[in-house]
Amino acid sequence: MAAVLEFEGITKEYRNLPNLRRLRALDDFTLQVEAGEIFGFLGPNGAGKSTAIHLAMGFMHPTRGRGVMLGAPFGHAATRRRVGFLAENVALYHRRANRLVRFYGALNGMGGPRLLQRATEVLRMVGLQDHASRNVGRFSRGMLQRVGLAQALVNDPELLILDEPTSALDPVARVVVREILLAARNAGKTIFLSSHLLSEVELICDRVAVLHRGRLVRQGRTSDLLHAAGQTEIVARGIAASQIPGAVAQNGALHWRTPAADQRRIMEQIWTLGGEVVSVNPLRRSLEELFLELAAEARPSQRGPS
Amino acid sequence: MKPPFLIGFNFVREQRWPILVLLLWILLLAFLGLITDMPRGREDLLFIFKQVALYVVVFSIFFGGSAIYNERKTRRILAVLSKAVGRQQYLSGLVLGVTMCCGIYCFSLGMTGSWALGEAGFPASQVWFLMLCVIVACMLAGTLALMFSTFLNPFFAAGATAAVLAAPVLLTHLGLAPWAEAMPVYALTVTVMESSFRAPGSPLWSPILLALAETIIFWVLAARIFAHVDIAVAVE
Repeated sequence: MAAVLEFEGITKEYRNLPNLRRLRALDDFTLQVEAGEIFGFLGPNGAGKSTAIHLAMGFMHPTRGRGVMLGAPFGHAATRRRVGFLAENVALYHRRANRLVRFYGALNGMGGPRLLQRATEVLRMVGLQDHASRNVGRFSRGMLQRVGLAQALVNDPELLILDEPTSALDPVARVVVREILLAARNAGKTIFLSSHLLSEVELICDRVAVLHRGRLVRQGRTSDLLHAAGQTEIVARGIAASQIPGAVAQNGALHWRTPAADQRRIMEQIWTLGGEVVSVNPLRRSLEELFLELAAEARPSQRGPS
Repeated sequence: MKPPFLIGFNFVREQRWPILVLLLWILLLAFLGLITDMPRGREDLLFIFKQVALYVVVFSIFFGGSAIYNERKTRRILAVLSKAVGRQQYLSGLVLGVTMCCGIYCFSLGMTGSWALGEAGFPASQVWFLMLCVIVACMLAGTLALMFSTFLNPFFAAGATAAVLAAPVLLTHLGLAPWAEAMPVYALTVTVMESSFRAPGSPLWSPILLALAETIIFWVLAARIFAHVDIAVAVE
């Protein structure tokens, strides 16, 4: 598949006033986001996620390296017509929601009845149709985030870049946003999603990358990363816990977490002892567990601040 | 070409309260000058008009010097520049916005001035020529302030702009009068300040044309500098 967003060996350093000390936010960062996928971009605070997104949008310039978005170098204004962007802590002009969305649509070259129709449509999508004529200055943070999403969607973008799009939303609104993103993917759009809400990412992302202190520490398909490497869970009943070491009794059954290599041996033991194997599943860990594991791995080798 | 106009009109909309206060100030002066029975001389009236006219040059520096800073501080610039808007277009929008803000002020002042001063015998066409001088001076001053604000905070940008605009005064004192004409805002303000009932002044177009040319030059310079600025970095 073609990459719609590509970071190639990007390093970004800031100069910290007043001593002009260099702070490295991204370090030789390389990543490819393919067309038609929802890509989760994870990392603790200060990992460099927003920096990477701002570089892609052309708000900043890399110290080294280059990047390509929809076939054009980062910062190419005309290409942004095909991109939707929602910033973390969204800040918008204080206007009526429908006029605001039309303003941003017009900045993208839209106009006429199509813009009117699309603005109404996206406000309905984010559940703000009843607030369309209210000034966004009086909106709650969650509503503001939804208007922000509406302005990102107004141009029906091929690529959506979202920085913490659900951080201020209640569970119902989160479900709405999740459905919007899944519908967008089904329509062939690409979504690059930075989020701290790991359960959300786990639910919708096809691939994820984890950034730590400006370095990419892991990336891959979400399902692959969530499989605990080579671990299997065996559930059995009809035997005593003491008969095979390592068993944990739970809800009237025995559970073993065992390396896949030992799987066959334990199952044979269960059968030999007259027990019944209820299930054998590759063990999954949550994204949160993976995230904490990677953060712990990265800690001993912490380098410059990001 | 649409984005600069949208950004310009949006800038005026964002500045609506300061503009409204300035318009009320003009109306108050017109009211005091015409409606009340306050004893006044027509020279006093002209002096107040000229003084109020020149205030807008100072306002243009503040409008231009703070535009980018405010947008970056509130982070609203991110949503605008995430659209198909180039940085040059964005700056054009701000220059247009500053010019429109000052234009509204000058138009209101021109209306009240041609009415009040016209009744006192000052030619209305000369009032509008003075307004033209002022608006062109505002364009240049605002663009210069905008250029400085691409890399300085508003306070220093305003200071640097004031220093550049006032340089002709120093150069004249140093006997370098020909060089003083290089920055025409001074010449334009002098044109306004020296007009009187006896000598309303004849239109001089060279400072106006020079100011327009310099506005373009400073706009290009501002765009060049702004193209390299990391706008997502928090402002100091």
